[in-house]
Amino acid sequence: MNILTIPLRNTWRKPTRTLLLLLVFTLGVMAIVALYQVSLVIGDGMEKKLSTYGANILISPGQEKLSVSYGGLHLGDMLYELQPLSEEKTVAAVRSIELKNRISAVAPKLVTMATVNGTPVAVVGVRWEEELLIKSYWATDGAYPEEQNEIVIGRTAALNLGLAQGDTVRLFEQPFRVSAVLLPTGGDDDNVILVDLGRLQAITGQPDGVSFLEVAALCSGCPIDDIVTQIRAGLPGMDIKALSNVVSQRMASIHFVQRLVLSISLVILVTAATMVGLSMLSAVNERKKDIGLLRSLGYSKGRVFFIFCLEAGIIGVLSGILGYFSGFGASFKTLSLLAMAEGARPVFEPGHLLLTCGIIGLVTIIAAAYPAWKGASIEPSQALLAL
Amino acid sequence: MLKAVNITKVFKNEGTEVQVLSKISLEIPQGEFLALVGRSGSGKSTLLNVLSTLVRPDGGELLYNGNKVTAMPDKKLNQLRHADFSVIFQFHHLVPYLTALENTLLPFMRSIKPASREMVDKAKQCLERVGLAGKENRLPGSLSGGEQQRVAIARALVKSSRILFADEPTGSLDKATGESIMHLLGELNRDGMTVIMVTHDPEYAQLADRSIHMEDGRLVS
Ligand SMILES: Nc1ncnc2c1ncn2[C@@H]1O[C@H](COP(=O)(O)OP(=O)(O)OP(=O)(O)O)[C@@H](O)[C@H]1O
Ligand SMILES: [Mg+2]
Repeated sequence: MNILTIPLRNTWRKPTRTLLLLLVFTLGVMAIVALYQVSLVIGDGMEKKLSTYGANILISPGQEKLSVSYGGLHLGDMLYELQPLSEEKTVAAVRSIELKNRISAVAPKLVTMATVNGTPVAVVGVRWEEELLIKSYWATDGAYPEEQNEIVIGRTAALNLGLAQGDTVRLFEQPFRVSAVLLPTGGDDDNVILVDLGRLQAITGQPDGVSFLEVAALCSGCPIDDIVTQIRAGLPGMDIKALSNVVSQRMASIHFVQRLVLSISLVILVTAATMVGLSMLSAVNERKKDIGLLRSLGYSKGRVFFIFCLEAGIIGVLSGILGYFSGFGASFKTLSLLAMAEGARPVFEPGHLLLTCGIIGLVTIIAAAYPAWKGASIEPSQALLAL
Repeated sequence: MLKAVNITKVFKNEGTEVQVLSKISLEIPQGEFLALVGRSGSGKSTLLNVLSTLVRPDGGELLYNGNKVTAMPDKKLNQLRHADFSVIFQFHHLVPYLTALENTLLPFMRSIKPASREMVDKAKQCLERVGLAGKENRLPGSLSGGEQQRVAIARALVKSSRILFADEPTGSLDKATGESIMHLLGELNRDGMTVIMVTHDPEYAQLADRSIHMEDGRLVS
């Protein structure tokens, strides 16, 4: 028998009221937890999907550029001889940074020029597997190469060279089969011939050489700048650019989802808190006489305040626990209904449970603060009022 | 010693002011058994409530052992209500969702620290003393009016306070129970407790050391 007896007894005295409040809050917490879990999983899935719409980091050899102008006349930039990068070393360096599990694709490229039937054309060597992770928006009229002597031609280049899917073409004095022509992409890929990187390295006599690399990094939960800094540390002297445009667009859609979840959660919390506040206010009015009695027995204002806050806090913590688990269950159900999880599942963390209970407990106590203060300011003489 | 000097109290009723207490001065030495008598509406309950600090007077001063009660900080006032004063209300007042035992122990349930074993035993003894043995775990709703009154008395007993304020403690009791309660109050008084009691019954007023008669908010003898 201590001060806790009073709020605990009162909680059970009005089971309907308590259960209703508990229900409202539990549903609120459940909705918030489910929304949060779903948004985490979907955000992750969304970013993986979005990253297939292009790379967001570009690695190229450090360029020594000399701007030449004479007599006010700009004579253009003179580039020193570009040294190709080492494919093996660079890829290994990128794949071994601290945030390596945020890297979804590393696509090395070797660019060179060639002539086909006397027409010059750019030839780009790619690793098909990695390339297709980044270029999932590509569409072709055929199949992607499976053999080293198969190539893909961009739409414009195919028109210029008069080539179609299935043709055989001589390139670097060797026969290649056009396995597919890219449908127009609107980008640089329209003008080039795409070859297997290993094959091109062999032909051009620079095994392991690449001109630049495109990297797709997942940026939710870590800023692109960190990834760039880490790559830079592993690859001194190289030029590493974040295509922040791509990143910020990509993050904007993910942040939108997160903000949506946050605002819905806030609305739910405020609604539930208002319910608790109102219910506590009527409880205080109902119990003026009891409060007056406690005050006449020497209970200080602070103790009365504590009793009412505790009453609200009990409901808060209980619904925090119930809501967390039901919300967790609901997120599984929602994800399976939305079919968006793609293998990812919500993860249970005891810390989150504690945090949820803490936050909800605090919210209910804050909601009860005004009614509790009202109760605390009741004078002992109120005990004299006949009901 | 409790001392009232020129106490006045005005109640406003629908715009008109009614002077319920007019300049009441009174001295009650420690250990006295005082009875307040008078017609209904003469201001007995109001005076008792002012003396027990439940109602603030509009004028005058209340002194307890020489300290101005009217100027006491909240903390001291709470301490006074907790330790020194006990009130038995005219409409016996219990917390409806606490058992008889818990209601008796209420003064000792102010903190997280549970009421001590000793206190619980004492509360049980007090309930026994007012004839409520075996009814410790009953809720007030299942007790008769007289039994509720006796729980309120037990609550005053368990505190072993210095002054007991009782507003018609026998009002809702039959003759026999009323007499046993009066007997109990007499016993407490003999143990050193000041008892200030409002009553309608001249017979019970006789048991007091002193009777004060009230009329229209004034003391008349
Ligand atoms: N809270 C209040 N507000 C307004 N008027 C009040 C209030 N309390 C008491 N009064 C008035 O003050 C007067 C004195 O009331 P009080 O309760 O002190 O009388 P009493 O002598 O105890 O009467 P009874 O013997 O019937 O209990 C009454 O006229 C009553 O109507
Ligand atoms: Mg009265």
